[in-house]
Amino acid sequence: MTGTHDVFDELAAVYAAGALDGDDLVRFESHLAEGCEHCRLALLDSREALTRMALAGPPAAPPADVKAALLARVTAQESRPARRPPGRASWVPWAAATAAVAAVAAMLSGGMVASRYEARLGQMARETAAVRERLQRNEAALREQVAAYRDTVELLRDPATRVIELRGAGPSPEARARLVWHDAAGGHLIVANLPPAPAGKAYELWTLGGPAPRPAGVFQVDASGRATHRVEPALGPATRFAVTLEPEAGAPAPTGPIVLASR
Amino acid sequence: MTTTGEDLIRRMAAGDREAFGRFYDRYAPLVYPLVVRIVRDRTDAADVLQEVFWEAWQGAPAYDPGRGSPEAWMATRARTRAIDRVRAVRRRSATFVPAMDEGPAPPEAGGDAAEQAEDRGVIRAALARLSPAQREAIELAYYAGLTQTEIARRLEQPLGTIKTRIRLGLERLRDAVRRAP
Repeated sequence: MTGTHDVFDELAAVYAAGALDGDDLVRFESHLAEGCEHCRLALLDSREALTRMALAGPPAAPPADVKAALLARVTAQESRPARRPPGRASWVPWAAATAAVAAVAAMLSGGMVASRYEARLGQMARETAAVRERLQRNEAALREQVAAYRDTVELLRDPATRVIELRGAGPSPEARARLVWHDAAGGHLIVANLPPAPAGKAYELWTLGGPAPRPAGVFQVDASGRATHRVEPALGPATRFAVTLEPEAGAPAPTGPIVLASR
Repeated sequence: MTTTGEDLIRRMAAGDREAFGRFYDRYAPLVYPLVVRIVRDRTDAADVLQEVFWEAWQGAPAYDPGRGSPEAWMATRARTRAIDRVRAVRRRSATFVPAMDEGPAPPEAGGDAAEQAEDRGVIRAALARLSPAQREAIELAYYAGLTQTEIARRLEQPLGTIKTRIRLGLERLRDAVRRAP
């Protein structure tokens, strides 16, 4: 940055103590996201100093059952399948199907089985199938979104996680995005104010820092210009990030205009 | 031939339970007093401690030594979790007021842990060199989890004063740590 960096020294100290808030917080995080090495090192240094302060008291043995409980959890984890089972994945379609069966049963019990109802029944079955499909799609989308939010919160708890700001460029100066990024775990790109891509097109994220930009996934924005995009960890160095407009299937190297970029 | 904390975390990342046990034995007695100091309830502190070490076990593959020592990795996590717990408790009981510092630290016993004790002595001496106002601001931020605005309001001081106190206090602390590696 330019000239007086002093103000950031002060913000860095308050940030390290965990007390920065309001506009100062936004300002300092943007500054960090711009890659200020001086502040990054100052934060590391301050964090170590605060750690020494925090751990300077006389050590004290915690209750013995804490360790026992932890080791039991580790053992339980190992005897379980790697991932949580899908849970209540299927209740919505079931509910829809049950409702359809109940409706059909009610009509039959009325004793009014006539040919004109067959057409009606066929239509109901098709509608039920369509509703079921829509519910399944909505449910999957919601579940994905909740997983993304949960994952983002988990990431933010890790001190190694950075929040990188991307600003609109070229055709979309109003666009804004933040990337919650962890070098080993990847992260999430959260986009706002980006116009939906034209038909046949999509947005593609790139990690920069190696010899060439690396593709980091294709995404679409919704009608309100928002998107949440899960980003896998980069295979090489990733110091900066950019988004371009590309063909729907994505491209191995950027071809379209840059719409968002980090500093 | 001592095993470093980094070695233990690397082995934990590979699923080594014995390394996790040793990691716990080494760091739990350091982290536990910090958690107790923040949450001020031993049952809550034991819960928080368990969560913090569970996260360390789960998060070991993401540990990056370039971004901080194992001590900082654990202390940062423990502080965050402990403050989360205090906030949750506060939401349940509106009367909670974060308590301030206890009295002077008890004298350090000598013996096997003499080196660690000496290190703690250096840090305590450094803390003693902060002005009471600097120390108060840093402790309200770090242990009570207050933001700069909340500290300014509580101490009835201008925001700029609070920022300066935190910066100067932290600079002295960093100096002391640099001189006593």
